[in-house]
Formats: sequence, C-alpha cells, structure tokens
Amino acid sequence: MSKEEIQAIDHSESESEVSFIHRLKNRIVDPFDDFLNADRSGKTDKAGKVFLLVPAFASTLIIILILAFLLFESTPILTSPVGGPGIIVNPTWDPNRNLYGIAIFVVGSLLCTTIAIGIAVPVGIGGAIFLSEFCPMRLRQPIKMITEMMAAIPSIVYGLWAYIVLVPYIKNVLAPSLQNNPLTGWIPLFQGDTNGLSLLAGGVILAIMLLPTVVTITTDALQTVPTSLREASLALGATQSETARKIVISAALPGVGAAIVLALGRAVGETMAVLMVTGNSLQIPYTLFDPTYVMTSIITNQLGYAFVFPLWRSALFAVGLVLMIMSVCFTLTAKLFIRWGMKTRGYI
Amino acid sequence: MSSRVGALFVYFRTVTQSRRHFFDFLFKFLLAIVILIVISPFFLVLIQVASIGFQQVFGSGPGQGLEFFTTFPGVGLAGGVRNAFVGTVELVVLAGGVGIPLSVFGAVYITEYTQAGWTRAIVEFTSDVLAGIPSIVFGAFGFAFLVDFLHLGMGIIAGSLTLAFMMIPTVLRTTQEALRAVPMSLREASLALGATKWSTTWNVTLRAAFPGLITGVLLAIGRVMGETAPLIFTAGNNLSVPTSLTGSGSWVASMPYTIWAYISDPREYLQAKAHGTALALMIMVLTIDVVANLVSRKVTRRLV
Repeated sequence: MSKEEIQAIDHSESESEVSFIHRLKNRIVDPFDDFLNADRSGKTDKAGKVFLLVPAFASTLIIILILAFLLFESTPILTSPVGGPGIIVNPTWDPNRNLYGIAIFVVGSLLCTTIAIGIAVPVGIGGAIFLSEFCPMRLRQPIKMITEMMAAIPSIVYGLWAYIVLVPYIKNVLAPSLQNNPLTGWIPLFQGDTNGLSLLAGGVILAIMLLPTVVTITTDALQTVPTSLREASLALGATQSETARKIVISAALPGVGAAIVLALGRAVGETMAVLMVTGNSLQIPYTLFDPTYVMTSIITNQLGYAFVFPLWRSALFAVGLVLMIMSVCFTLTAKLFIRWGMKTRGYI
Repeated sequence: MSSRVGALFVYFRTVTQSRRHFFDFLFKFLLAIVILIVISPFFLVLIQVASIGFQQVFGSGPGQGLEFFTTFPGVGLAGGVRNAFVGTVELVVLAGGVGIPLSVFGAVYITEYTQAGWTRAIVEFTSDVLAGIPSIVFGAFGFAFLVDFLHLGMGIIAGSLTLAFMMIPTVLRTTQEALRAVPMSLREASLALGATKWSTTWNVTLRAAFPGLITGVLLAIGRVMGETAPLIFTAGNNLSVPTSLTGSGSWVASMPYTIWAYISDPREYLQAKAHGTALALMIMVLTIDVVANLVSRKVTRRLV
C-alpha cells in the first residue's frame, strides 16, 4: 500500500469522524436554533410536533403497562412451590388449602366458547350471505342497523335477559322436554338435574352476543368480493345459491376467517353475561346442563376478597395473564388472515 | 296486483322445474329464516326489558318517571337511581375528557406526521391489541396499577381513567380512518397558501374529518357507558353522588353496576328497578349509536 493511499484512508476516516460529530451536533442543535429563530406560528408548529408524540404512544405504553403489571402480579404464584406454571393443568382450586389450580376455569371458558362459536358461526355466516347476496335492497339497511344496535347493547343487559328469561326456560321447558323424550333422553350430554344456570345458558347467551360481530364483519368481507366474479359464475349457468356458496364464500374466505377469530376473542373475554348465567360452580361440566366456572368470572367474583392474600391474588392475576395472552393471539391470527387476504386476493 | 300474483306463479313454476332451481329457492328461504333468527334476540331483549322497565322509566307513580332519575335509592333501595345516572354521566365525561384528546392527538400524529413505517405499524398494532383485551383484564389492571400501585384508591378517578384506556383504540382507529379519507389536495392547498403544517392540520384536515371523528367518539362513548367489569374494582359503588376526588367519598355508582347489584338482590321489587335502569341504559346507548350512524355512515366500524 502506498503512502498516499494510507494518508487518503486516514484522511477519509478523520473526515467521517468530524462529519459524524458535526451531523450529531446538527441533529441536536439545529432544531433548537430553528425553533428559536422561527416566528410565532413556526414555533407552534415545531412545538406541536413534539407535543403530539406523547399521545401517539399512549396505546403502546398502556399495553406495555398491562403486560408488565399482569406479569409482576402473577410472579408470586408462578415462582412459589405451591404454584408454578403447572397451575394451568391442575384442576383443584381451593385457596383455603393453598391449592390454586386454574384448569377448571380454562376448561369452562373453552367449553362455553366452543358452544357459542358452534352456534354463532354457522348462523352468522348464513345471515351474512343472505344480507349481502339475496336481501332485497329495501330491507338491507334496516337489518344492518339492527345488527349494529345489537353490538351496542351492553353485556349486562344481555345478562339480565338471560338470567330472567333464558335460565328459567332451560330449567322449566328445555331440560325436562329433552330428558323425558325417549329419542333424546339417553344422550349423555343431556343428563343431570339443573336449575337452569348451566353451560348451555352461557353458551347460548354468548352466541347471541357474538352474532352481530360475525354478521357485520362477514357481510363487509362478502361485499368487497368483486361483482365480476359473481357475474362470471352466473354466466356459466350457476344458480345464485351456487354462486354464493362456491364462489363468493371462497373468495371472501380470509375475511370470514378474521370474523371467526375476532368472535373467538370476544367470547373468551366476555364477562358479565356469562358470570350471571353459568352458575359459577367449581367443577368441570360433563353435560350441557351442568354449571361451570369461566376465567373471567373467577376474577370478577374473587378479586375483591383476595387482594389481601398475596398468593390468592397472584393466582387471579395469572388467570388474567392467560386471558391476555389468548386475546393477543386471537388479534395476531386475525391480522394474519387479513394479510393472507391482501396477499392472495388484494382485498379482504 | 294480478300481475304480481302472475309473476309469483311464474316464479314458483320456474323454481319447481328442476332440482337445482328448487334447491336454490330452498337455500334462499332457509337463509331468510336464519337472518330472522339473527335479529330476533334484539327484539326479545327489548321487549323483555321494556315490558317491565317501562313503568319505572315513563310511569307516574311514586319513584317512577322523572323521579326515577332525580331521587336517591334511600332506605331499602326503594327510591330512584339518581346515584347511578349521575355516576355514569360523570364517569363517561371524565373518561372522554382524558381518552378523546389522547387518542385524537395520537391519530393526528401517526397519520399527518409520520410516513408509513415502523412507528405507524407499532401504534396501529398496539391499538388493535388493546381493542381485543377483555374488559375484566382492564378492570384487574386498573385495580393493580391505578388503585394499588399509584395509590389513587378506588373511586371516580381510577374508574374513569380505566374507561379512558378502553376508549383509546376505537377513537384512534376511526379518527385515523377519517383523516386518511381527507383528500391530499386540501392539505396541499392550505400549505401552498403559506400555512404551517400545524395550522393546516387543525384548521383544514381535522375540520374535513370531523364527522368521522364524531362517529368514532360516539361509538366509543356508547361502548364504555355499558361496561361493568372494569368498574367493579376501580369505581366501587355509592348510594349517593361522589363528594370528593379521593378517599371513600369518591366512590361512584354506575348504571351497569346498579343493574348487576339489583338483579342479584333477592328483594322482588328491585327486579323491576333493574329492568328500569336497563331500559334507560339501552335507550341512551342505542340513541348514541343511531346518532353516530346519522352523523357519518361512511366510517366503517373497524373491528380488526
């Protein structure tokens, strides 16, 4: 290597160092100079930009705080010898004997959600197909409005209705008629005495609350399917129902998937209505008429008493952490569905 | 009339001609029944709540009608629900006062001041996650963070801050959507006249996006108004209106909490009061929803 080259390298290095410091200085000092030299409206403009930065990250900050506090509060039970991560598969919940298994609540939540999704998804998708494909124009707007209003009704009002109407109906009409009917009486799912507060009541009221979500999102997804696809199918001689079932639904599949996942998230997190009708009994339900206990209910019912007992309180926050992780997973899955739709179809 | 009957007759002839067309007819008919099933709970709930609650909210007996909202529960909870009504209004106003500016400013920053990139992606993603978090988790978080960690104590401040957190995703995403729909030419015209970015944003862009913004705000208010779970551990309950901002005098009742407390009470006459409160709450929430729809139909309810 010749001397000039070495000098050149040295020179360039020192220059870049200078320019780096210079650039850093510019980054820090220049905005201040600009700010001081600006007139009044210019000052407002520059100060406003910094001021807006704080609210922009409010939602990020809140998420981080929620995660941090749930982790912090549930650390005692996750590290204690009577607890540990194994509580999620341990079915015995008895705070008086220091037993904090939360499996009952996880199973209860999953069963309730399964029933609700099993009812709400087929019915909701059917309703959405009607609304988007076959509904007379005059009826479409009122029906859409009603489904949106259904989404706005507070969950406590649904809970009140279920408690006053649905629970007595299950106790007095549905359970006896199913159990006394020789055709259905032998099915294990329908066995057991019931006072109406049951897994079934929770599943049905949840399904009713999920319907508007499923219908609204699925209708939106179906309506973004290009008309040309429908026209092509009809031109080939398919009937309207064949077009809807085979063309439109498969073209809108990502949107339908997102609707189902979001409904799942709501079902797992729903609190008041389920709390009022599931009976809140510490057992794993074996039939539709058995009472059950879901994750949201245990927090609502016991956090008020438990907050002075470190382990008990910590176990309840661990339930909250499980709920939070589940809801984040559902949101992520819905996002993936949307990305899939944008990638393969260009719309959702 | 006769032509209609004739058309119907022809339609039925076509339908019964082949198996495929008959199946097509059957499918549509079934789906029409399904949509009736979908919307029937709305009327079932409305009829049940109204049939018992109507007397409370619009009747003229003692403790009914206007008195239902202007008297405190009193001895044996025999009076009205003024505590709950006032409490809900106070909670929503305070929550809106914190939550709405926070989310509108946030939306303005990420739509107007950032390029599409990681900043925007992070804010959008976290607000979507926030929208999906169960309300009881917000309640537990409010209890652990605001009540316990910050020593705010249960009461109106902790309750309304928890509700404000819940408002953020709805308002932020609808405002963002509304801002995005404002044509670029409006901003460019304002900038070309020499306005700063700041005054363009406040005087031109936000004004054009105002209907969408109002819709988002109303949707969020309607949502938090009916929330019970976040308030149980953060706002407490009160048979009167809050008298101070801290301590046990700041505990505050709300309409959803009152419905829950009354419905789980064994005393018979409280059932009617629970229905009355539920009817009043439903009327408030549904009115807000309809107004939101009237202000702007264009803003879609972003659920993702």
